[in-house]
Amino acid sequence: MTLARRRFDALIIGAGGAGLNAALQLANANLRVAVVSKVFPTRSHTVAAQGGVNAALANVFEDNWHWHMFDTVKGSDYLGDQDAIEFMCREAIPTVYELEHNGVPFSRLDNGRIYQRAFGGQSQNFGGAQAARTCAAADRTGHAILHTLYQQNIRARTHFFDEYFGVDLIRDDDGAILGALTLEIETGEPLLIEAKTTLLATGGCGQVFRTTSNAHINTGDGMAMALRAGVPLMDMEFFQFHPTGISGRGMLITEGVRGEGGYLVNKDGERFMERYAPNAKDLASRDVVARAIVTEVKEGRGCGPNADHVLLKVDHLGEDIIAKRLPGIRESSQIFAGVDPAVEPIPVFPTAHYVMGGIPTDRLGHVVIPSSDGSEEIVPGLYAAGECACVSVHGANRLGGNSLLDILVFGRAAGQQIIDHLKDSPEHRPMSDAIIEKAVSRLSRWEQEGEGISVRELRDEFRKVMEDHAGVFRTDEIMSEGVEKVKAVREKLKDVRLGDQSKVFNTARIEALELENLIDIGMSIVLSALERKESRGAHSRPDYTERDDVNWLKHSVYFQEGDRLDYKPVQTKPLTVETFPPKPRVY
Amino acid sequence: MKFFVYRYNPDVDTAPHMQEYDVEVTRGMMLRDALMEIKRQDESFAFRHSCGEGVCGSDAVNANGKNMLGCTTPVVELKEPVNVRPLPGRPVIRDLVVDMSQFYQQYRAVKPYLIHKDPLPEQEILQSPEDRDKLDGLYECIMCGCCSTSCPSFWWNPDKFHGPQALLQAWRFLADSRDQATEERLDDLEGPYKLFRCHTIMNCVESCPKSLNPTKAIGKIKELMLKHSI
Amino acid sequence: MSRQASGLRAWALQRISAAYLGLYLIYMLGHLSFNAPESFEAWRTYVADPGVSIGMLLFVVALLIHAWVGIRDVLIDYVHPIMARVTLLSLFAIGFVGCGLWFAKAIFLASVAA
Repeated sequence: MTLARRRFDALIIGAGGAGLNAALQLANANLRVAVVSKVFPTRSHTVAAQGGVNAALANVFEDNWHWHMFDTVKGSDYLGDQDAIEFMCREAIPTVYELEHNGVPFSRLDNGRIYQRAFGGQSQNFGGAQAARTCAAADRTGHAILHTLYQQNIRARTHFFDEYFGVDLIRDDDGAILGALTLEIETGEPLLIEAKTTLLATGGCGQVFRTTSNAHINTGDGMAMALRAGVPLMDMEFFQFHPTGISGRGMLITEGVRGEGGYLVNKDGERFMERYAPNAKDLASRDVVARAIVTEVKEGRGCGPNADHVLLKVDHLGEDIIAKRLPGIRESSQIFAGVDPAVEPIPVFPTAHYVMGGIPTDRLGHVVIPSSDGSEEIVPGLYAAGECACVSVHGANRLGGNSLLDILVFGRAAGQQIIDHLKDSPEHRPMSDAIIEKAVSRLSRWEQEGEGISVRELRDEFRKVMEDHAGVFRTDEIMSEGVEKVKAVREKLKDVRLGDQSKVFNTARIEALELENLIDIGMSIVLSALERKESRGAHSRPDYTERDDVNWLKHSVYFQEGDRLDYKPVQTKPLTVETFPPKPRVY
Repeated sequence: MKFFVYRYNPDVDTAPHMQEYDVEVTRGMMLRDALMEIKRQDESFAFRHSCGEGVCGSDAVNANGKNMLGCTTPVVELKEPVNVRPLPGRPVIRDLVVDMSQFYQQYRAVKPYLIHKDPLPEQEILQSPEDRDKLDGLYECIMCGCCSTSCPSFWWNPDKFHGPQALLQAWRFLADSRDQATEERLDDLEGPYKLFRCHTIMNCVESCPKSLNPTKAIGKIKELMLKHSI
Repeated sequence: MSRQASGLRAWALQRISAAYLGLYLIYMLGHLSFNAPESFEAWRTYVADPGVSIGMLLFVVALLIHAWVGIRDVLIDYVHPIMARVTLLSLFAIGFVGCGLWFAKAIFLASVAA
């Protein structure tokens, strides 16, 4: 088979905030960079981020990066690597200024500086008063950032492959990554992109769950590509459920709503967060608020005819603040919940939102294969950044406003690292036909015709299993069953057939490839979750209610081959400051 | 609910046709949900969609003659039977998927990025809240293409007229107090085509799912041009 | 110097001419409703007044400019083959100049006769 080929210095798969920020560094350095995205770049899911990006600019209250670091370590339930967290919190400040210089239309304070709002889990002075650290462009910060980064890439003349689907990484016998096989969606033709370096920036995998704030495209393609290339996934049991999705639909209502003064009430009109988090109340960490809501509903204090949600009250903020600071939320509530938050409360319930785990990387963006002794082996030529990666800065629970920060800081760092690497490696490694074969077979598998299960059927079944067996509360029984069911789904995958074999813009083919990715990732989630016998951050087990730092202060590492789990110690030593030792986490 | 959907697959069809589908309406169902339901019935049906909440701009279609986002249009607001077609004036790739490359080209043509020539400060470039307010109604564009593909001037001259989407973005940067390329931007817009094909038909305003107003932005550009020319 | 036809100037001229056409029409309608000349002679005398004849001449110039920009817009929109467009533009240009000259002649004759 003769494949169309292109050659670049750097290949970036994914055009969200991480991919585009990396691409911008590379294009500005005059390197030949190709960005492959299965959707037009501004459709990437970064566009949906609402609240903002954290940086200790101290524009509103006194602040510094060290306090930000403390909050992030505490928010991660001490599972985050403190060297990476220190790096991120320091870099946050220049990163936000750089974004502003690039044109992001941040909201402003009267003195002309960037507006910052309060978000959950933020404090001054290591756990003191509420901080205001989240830089915002109204409630459309992700949109503003993604569009700005795309615009700057237009200026820098980055080479985009829009609507190309990443099929698989090409890996040689030494374990080096030489590029990727892609599929041009419009023509249905494969294209092999050879690259000296490949960056995975494919974002999250929220589509593994039935109710999610994530877009249709968030199918974890990069994570699954990594798995198939022999790279493990780390900490996949930690999946964040955002406390406030629109009930029954999953669309997100930003934490910024509570940051601006909104609060949650149950059917008795009680501000129940006061019971769960007496200090931080509604601005406690996301895992805490999500569990509180689920508990309220479980104990019969939910609202609505089915008592299946709680209410987010905003109307007391007044029309002005709502129009100025939360215009997008108002629009979404009106469209999807049929309520105007300036008049009525919004019905909310937790929704699958963000995966803290992902492809293990160091803080420079190299993909690494960790071992249990704490050492790491770099995968030559492969980098990862953004939600698909696990540095790990979010540990067991991500703080609001730290995801935009993560993608920007580590997208940028990976870009810089690739530039450095390319200085020393001017040549492409040779690529033999044999190593391409495996990737090509992934495409040809879907050319089998005949009767079989439909993609839709198996996808529905799988996502239901994940929702039922890997949700907010996880017991041994529920999850053991979940593992069996996901295994059964994985077995069925080989009986799935594609009815539509046409080439041009065949979205059914794409959905089939995505389903494979989802199932691969689903397995990593349920297996890692079943094994972790403690409650930490977003991973909450009624049968092991306490955090167990003696046995479980370590990262789970899942290898696809043999469904094997390994563990790696948490890096508790920061770069320059003192370690924050684990403490009970109260808000 | 009855839907007639535009179908064309160049691999098998010689000509496009409208195909009938029946979709059971559920509470709160959006047009996108209905299209997804049609896709469940018939996996060969292709359309673009992603976020489902009106921010990614993927799923603009023409339903009952109007351009709209599938994900923010409740089906109950549409008259039955619903005729769903691809965005008008663009070459059809397959079913509801159209080729938007000219639209993107026009966007790139307006230099849609901040140009700041002075040395950059170590912190943010200051901007008063009043100046920042001038960007409201401009930066929110999601590039769905509802406006430009409903604009007759863009239908006639998609290669030369920037169209309402790109012009709204041209104004977004002209209106930004931090941008320092006003003269170049205005010079670039001169000529009978790029800006002046707008005849204030205002289909753009009516079709914008984010309630933005490209016609007003175009008027502001003309006003500023005039000011800078005399 | 730009290689292209005018954009801003054409647009501005169209607006300015429209304003003049509008105002002049209102004035003319008013004048004719309350003060209509009763005979051809009266009409000719009225037109021969330098103020009136210059105003009318300006009206025609404005009308032709307005029409030219409008026609040019229509042709740019709809007529894409370059030869057809040039031919049509030329025909309209000649026609408009002809109309202008014919009107100038009428006003000139009126002034001379008075």
